Amino acid sequence: MNSARRTIVDLLIAGAAMGVIAIALEIWTAAFHVPGYLVPAPSAVGARLVADWAMFLREAAVTIAEASMGFLVGTTVAFAIASAMVRSRVLERTLFPLAILVKLTPIVAVAPLFTLWFGFGSAPKVAIAALITFFPMVVNAFVGLRSADPQEVAFLETLGATRTEVFRHLRVPNALPYLFSGARISLNLALIGAVIGEWTGADHGLGRVILVANANLDLATLFAAVLLLAAIGIAANALVGTVERRVLHWHPVELAA
Amino acid sequence: MGNAIEIRGASAGYGKTPVLEDIDLTIATGEVLAVVGRSGTGKTTLLRLIAGAVIPQRGEVRLIGADPAAARRAKRIGFVGQNAALHPWRTVVQNIRLPLDVNPADVEDGPTPEEWVARIGLAAAANAYPHQLSGGMRQRVALARSLVADPAILLMDEPLSSLDELTRDDLRLELVDFWGATRTVVYVTHDIEEAVWLADRVAVLGGHPARIAGIVPVALERPRTPALRRDARFLDLVDAVRGLLA
Repeated sequence: MNSARRTIVDLLIAGAAMGVIAIALEIWTAAFHVPGYLVPAPSAVGARLVADWAMFLREAAVTIAEASMGFLVGTTVAFAIASAMVRSRVLERTLFPLAILVKLTPIVAVAPLFTLWFGFGSAPKVAIAALITFFPMVVNAFVGLRSADPQEVAFLETLGATRTEVFRHLRVPNALPYLFSGARISLNLALIGAVIGEWTGADHGLGRVILVANANLDLATLFAAVLLLAAIGIAANALVGTVERRVLHWHPVELAA
Repeated sequence: MGNAIEIRGASAGYGKTPVLEDIDLTIATGEVLAVVGRSGTGKTTLLRLIAGAVIPQRGEVRLIGADPAAARRAKRIGFVGQNAALHPWRTVVQNIRLPLDVNPADVEDGPTPEEWVARIGLAAAANAYPHQLSGGMRQRVALARSLVADPAILLMDEPLSSLDELTRDDLRLELVDFWGATRTVVYVTHDIEEAVWLADRVAVLGGHPARIAGIVPVALERPRTPALRRDARFLDLVDAVRGLLA
């Protein structure tokens, strides 16, 4: 109840902020007669969104599906690797540089390569979204899993707990706050990843819409798609926030909020 | 009924820093041994040595005739620390159940977690989370958690020191009931009167690295009452322990 209401308030505040910016832009473009191929008036963007809503919704669904799938894959792999790194120092030393390598790879540079490897379907988009999700999640999961209080680990050991039991009963719940803050970063990154993937070759998705609109100097459509992406990002963040408040109701940060 | 804990010529430390040297200590089954010493003398290390969390560099530790690791696996050891260290994501009853959830070995028929909640007077708060409890309540939960698997040996590391005085007095009276007569207890404290009041014997640790400076037998009848604290015999014993600490 409470958390749902807070999410709605968060969304209203975000919407109000965007509304203020839109009004300022509208006045500016009207007062100075800014041409539509440079900066479209927010009213034109809104009109385009309303006129083509079915198309936008269809394309957004594609991008959301790719980003969500990529987020899931990236998070799963990141959690598995972080678990391995917590278990063994050798694995930590081996895998962490590799994770940094993944992080340092310019996504835009490898995106065409992914299209080459995985074709023009959704696979390369999912792969890029997964790749871009991976690093924040692996770092957060690793830090969270490792940050369990050594005294509590020792306590569980006096109960004869195995490493797996320490992992399950202590490390995982302890890592949850870290995983959620990782998810807040990664969900939006996954959206960007899916869009970049769509730029390198796609029939559908908001990235494709942006690319085509850009080529046609159709800035109203371009901004409408960007706006939609932003809205999806904000909604994703709000969703994570809601789940986080439910799951972490025991956490000091949530209690203070 | 034999000895629950036997420590023979044990030395222990962390890396190259020796903490305990040449410790010889035999604790009978059902005995309550209090361990006192100045801050940093190695009282906690002695508990860790008994629990098998610190491996002796020399000498050996036997718990009920077996090595500490085997005793741990068999759930023979219960532990209560200075802070309750409850899992914030578990409710009161779930926290008490923790020892049954890990290493699910055969646990003798004792009170269930639900019965323990009632026994520590928190029936109304069974499904509350630790952050909703007072310090004294949390420590009660930690106590119930340490006993739910009915361990033969209970190790306590200054369990009352983080509580206010009134709560401490209440809980001290209850401790003996919770232990029962057959459990072996090693109780670390910096409070000399508390040590004498609770224990059958008080071991004093002193020096660097620490050795056992002396052991004071406490031949006071049970059950012990708060009035005992003004008894001349009690005060003599407190003086004897204080003398060993000086």
